Amino acid sequence: MTSRVLVVDDDTALAEMIGIVLRSEGFEPSFCADGATALQAFRDSKPDLVLLDLMLPGLDGIEVCSRIRAESGTPIIMLTAKSDTADVVRGLESGADDYMVKPFNPKELVARIRTRLRPAPEPVVETIAIGDLVIDAAGHEVRRGAERINLTPLEFDLLLALASKPQQVFTREMLLEQVWGYHYKADTRLVNVHVQRLRAKVEHDPDNPRIVQTVRGVGYRAGATT
Amino acid sequence: MKDEAPAMPTGGAWRTIRQRGAAVANRLVSLWRHSLQFRTVLITIGLSGLAILVIGLYITFSIASNLFESQRDRALDASNSAAAAAQTLLESSAAADRGALQSVLDQAVRTVQTVSGSSAIAVLRQSGQETSTIAPQDRIAPALTGVISDELQASVRENPDRQFWQSVSLGDEAGEDPGIVVGTDLMVPGAGRYGLYIGYSFAGAEQTLAFMEATGIIGAVALLVLLGAITLLVVRWVIEPVRTVAATSRRLAAGDLGVRMPEKGEDELATLAASFNGMADTLQARIRELAELSVMQQRFVSDVSHELRTPLTTIRLAGDVLYGQREEFPGPTARTVELLHTQTERFERLLADLLEISRYDAGSVELGTEPTNLVHLAGDAIESMHDLALEHGSELQLVAPGGYLDAEVDPRRVKRIVRNLLGNAIEHGEGRPIVVSVDSDEHAVALSVRDYGLGMTEEDAARVFDRFWRADPSRMRTIGGTGLGLAISQEDAVAHGGSLDVWSKPNAGTVFRLTLPRSPGTPLTGSPLPLEPDDPDATGPVEPARPVDAQQVEVRDA
Repeated sequence: MTSRVLVVDDDTALAEMIGIVLRSEGFEPSFCADGATALQAFRDSKPDLVLLDLMLPGLDGIEVCSRIRAESGTPIIMLTAKSDTADVVRGLESGADDYMVKPFNPKELVARIRTRLRPAPEPVVETIAIGDLVIDAAGHEVRRGAERINLTPLEFDLLLALASKPQQVFTREMLLEQVWGYHYKADTRLVNVHVQRLRAKVEHDPDNPRIVQTVRGVGYRAGATT
Repeated sequence: MKDEAPAMPTGGAWRTIRQRGAAVANRLVSLWRHSLQFRTVLITIGLSGLAILVIGLYITFSIASNLFESQRDRALDASNSAAAAAQTLLESSAAADRGALQSVLDQAVRTVQTVSGSSAIAVLRQSGQETSTIAPQDRIAPALTGVISDELQASVRENPDRQFWQSVSLGDEAGEDPGIVVGTDLMVPGAGRYGLYIGYSFAGAEQTLAFMEATGIIGAVALLVLLGAITLLVVRWVIEPVRTVAATSRRLAAGDLGVRMPEKGEDELATLAASFNGMADTLQARIRELAELSVMQQRFVSDVSHELRTPLTTIRLAGDVLYGQREEFPGPTARTVELLHTQTERFERLLADLLEISRYDAGSVELGTEPTNLVHLAGDAIESMHDLALEHGSELQLVAPGGYLDAEVDPRRVKRIVRNLLGNAIEHGEGRPIVVSVDSDEHAVALSVRDYGLGMTEEDAARVFDRFWRADPSRMRTIGGTGLGLAISQEDAVAHGGSLDVWSKPNAGTVFRLTLPRSPGTPLTGSPLPLEPDDPDATGPVEPARPVDAQQVEVRDA
């Protein structure tokens, strides 16, 4: 089954070039050049992944991102010409799973897309408990009692990674490698922002986290099972 | 010590007093040097004091001599009349024996007393006459005892027609008073010639004078105090605007371009204020203009860099797709694709560096600091440059004597600095070993990169941090540096509150030393590592240090 990728970029030359690269790698690209129609294009094409330019005419990429995120957990990779801290963090906070700074090379692009689309590794056990949550690894579900908590695939992967080794402290670099597929040192802000987003969904009190605990100066650890 | 001389201050006390005295003197000297007001008041008081002293002395002298002269003249007149009256009395008597003569003389003395108004009277028989048995005895008032000089007596004897006087101090029970003695010749019929001496006391005049002097001194002191106070006020009045100017220009110099002087009146100070404000206006306008220009330029660079990125991404993707298929192309086309690929990468690096520099120029750099071990960081950087170093035949060595605590730095930026320095060393190192040293002290951490390659002259070394500068324009950039690496590295170091220094010697190599404070904001006082190596002429490290393997770097925590 070929994966569908929606490319939202107003620069048609770049979009076409990305399309050529994606096709040659066996993806099925669709295109949208305007922020205002991006959401409709997303609903129409039901892509497996979205490549989203940060600067778009019509509707700003960050706004598009949060609207898509509001109705779907589909992986989103931001394409940005700005590597300035504020823009990147804003993009991640609006729900993007990952970002790529222009100019990027095709190998990198394809590698990131594949990481986000790869099937989750076969779970060793069916369900894992973390805090007062139960993760159904096979069913890609997280429940608190009877309540089902909606996580994006990335957030699910992040939680699963932490929960599968409850004794272990994960450094940000380890998480970047395991969840994002970076094999070299990347931007640790990715981890910080997504841990925040995850906590906002799973913690009772995000300011006093029990499930995803911070280990100062090292990284994160799963909270004890209750 | 204390027991022997209890009344004397001990050595310590003396020292304290001396120190305190020295401190006061120092304070005065400093006040003199720094306060125009203090100086002006002191000079005014000094000079007017001198003037008042001279004038006062002159007045005192002239009044004193005037007073003395008038008193003397009065005394001479009185003495003249008294002598005449006594002479008349003596001549009219017909006394012939000693007793009668004595009583006539007594009578004459009484007359003299009445006429002259003085009781200090002496009648002395002049020497050099025949002794007479009937001549009456000398009379001398106690106040005149011992004060009539021989010169006076001689003058009276030799000039019987004239009066003579002499300044004396007249003693009585109350003490000594200044005065004069007037001598006149007196002819006692039948007994010979006598000298009549009348003493006049000037005590009254003396008192007047003393009173006047006292009044004068009090007046002078009061005048001086008044003058000092007036000067103080006037100087303050004049200096206050000068102080305002000083304070205002200091604020202006400190960058507060909005400050202005209050403009009041039309005097010189108002003119000063007006011209100062004019200057500030011009300065502000000029700086604002430059700032706007600079902001515009920075934004332009930043915009250009951003705008270039999208087409560059397309080119990059296209180039990479072609590059991936280069083996299917005929020779020249394949080479073309290769060139396209490498040059696109180079262009990309250049653009990234340009953007980074523009960020520094715009002052929009934020440090993401975290506790970082510089040795680990150096090890990582060395590892990442390992292949490049091998290509150029240089061996990378790490010397880390130990004692490291983590420093609060932005690891991304510091690693970029180290990689830049390493790239630079590899490019100019002539394939000789490259030594990276890391050391630290209480306040700072330092890392230096030494190569034993070409080196530079001092003039070249001074320009090494300039953007796009090359020591030898004909030399190729073999590693493909952008020419901005060292400039960015220096900006990175400065952003940490640290410094990046260079030492170089032609044909001996180059040392770049990075010094960073343990926590940003702490001012640097020195560096844990020397800049100039102790083996400036060596062509390689003395003992071949073990080749670095980042995993093997030992870190001893202090």
